[in-house]
Amino acid sequence: MLMITDVRNTSESVPVPKTTREIYLPPQRSTITGGGAAHIAAREFSVYYGDFEAVKRVSADILSKYVTAIIGPSGCGKSTFLRAINRMNDLIPGCHTTGSLLFDGEDIYGKYTDEVLLRKKVGMVFQKPNPFPKSIFDNIAYGPRLHGVNDKKKLMEIVERSLRKAAIWDEVCDRLDKNALGLSGGQQQRLCVARTLAVEPEVLLLDEPTSALDPKATAKIEDLIQELRGSYTIMIVTHNMQQASRVSDSTMFFYEGILVEHAPTAQLFVNPKDPMTEDYITGRFS
Amino acid sequence: MSSRPVHELIKELSQVLVQLSDKVVENLFNALHAVKHQDEHGARQIRIIDHEIDVAEVNLEERCLAFLALQQPVARDLRTIVTIIKINDDLERIGDLAVHIIDRMPEISPEMLDSFAFEDMGAHAAEMVKKSIEAFISKDRLLADQVCALDEEIDVMHRSVFKKVTTLMKNQDSDVDQLIAALSISRYIERMADHASRIAYEVIYLVTGEIVRHKGVLYEKLIESIKE
Repeated sequence: MLMITDVRNTSESVPVPKTTREIYLPPQRSTITGGGAAHIAAREFSVYYGDFEAVKRVSADILSKYVTAIIGPSGCGKSTFLRAINRMNDLIPGCHTTGSLLFDGEDIYGKYTDEVLLRKKVGMVFQKPNPFPKSIFDNIAYGPRLHGVNDKKKLMEIVERSLRKAAIWDEVCDRLDKNALGLSGGQQQRLCVARTLAVEPEVLLLDEPTSALDPKATAKIEDLIQELRGSYTIMIVTHNMQQASRVSDSTMFFYEGILVEHAPTAQLFVNPKDPMTEDYITGRFS
Repeated sequence: MSSRPVHELIKELSQVLVQLSDKVVENLFNALHAVKHQDEHGARQIRIIDHEIDVAEVNLEERCLAFLALQQPVARDLRTIVTIIKINDDLERIGDLAVHIIDRMPEISPEMLDSFAFEDMGAHAAEMVKKSIEAFISKDRLLADQVCALDEEIDVMHRSVFKKVTTLMKNQDSDVDQLIAALSISRYIERMADHASRIAYEVIYLVTGEIVRHKGVLYEKLIESIKE
């Protein structure tokens, strides 16, 4: 049985800068990999689709309550790595893993891991907003109901709290009974974030969450990431490098399944250590 | 790998900076020559060239700022543009200092100038500027280090001028105005060398990503001296 503990109650000593403008390099976190408590830790972790090794022996620490961006060209394994964290790849025939991927020190791919409990703790938002064809209220209440919350008053509290956290409450509070599909794309995406937050996750996985949105809706999602930062461990896959540099504390660069570099974002975008990273982010990649 | 237009633009901005540095160094030599020969016409030319340097400096800065806003460079591209902006500023200041030398021309006689080794000192400072720009072109960390080391030689020369001037001033019949002008010229050349050192520091940042300015032990020494 997966014994997932609530890190938000046990890791208060981890310093969290208020904004990404403060250069992220707390003294005890001078390196990203190795040492210190990690919320998610990969050790020689590989993901295979049949014989094809899509993620190759990745070792990395994902720090609690920080925003980690994952960048790299298409097909580099970044989404596969992200999806591996809440075992979304399990649905793909022939997909298997080697090495270990730990959540709070426990193996996500352990024999007794409860995937439902894992996905409650590790929520995910996808590229395309995917609200259920239900009312706004029912979209948010869906997860809590699934986990046994049926009290109407309690559900209302959860719905309001989640929508407020996702910075969409003011826009929808007077039409909670309306169909969620009537919202704009940007609103739908924030609704999906709210739906994820409703089951009180610890980790948010965002897979290109703004690639289908216009600049205004993108800005709202980026602002939302800043708001949620410090309360949740957030991982975002993005093709937009300016977005990665704007919203994240650390950045991972993947190429052909290999984690080439993982460093504080300010360092990676000003003075990357690996020439391959430099060539990619400056557009010199051949 | 074929070069993208954005990288061609960075090369072009670098070339504009190098052209500006050539102009600045030439004006520095001309300023020393004009003062030595009391060349009024040459002095006017130097002021005209300095105005051109000022215009070019503003133009290059505007182009770099537009590049930052429009291209949002990162990594070495970012460091290159930031370095160009900073070197551009230093070159403009060196240009101003050449004009300051010209400003002292009416206050100092050729005989008084001959008693100081300003041409040597100026040539030394100009060499530092040239080498720092060479280090920028070739991204040569070692050459940049050499430029920083050369600054000490100029400082020694300036201290020697200072000592000589203060000694001469103690004479009853000394021409204080001329001596102050001489000291000022020495100071201007010493400041030029400082700017060349700053350019070299910027090159070190460009190459390594590390800001090495103010990394001496002075602060620790001051703290120690307070304790003592």
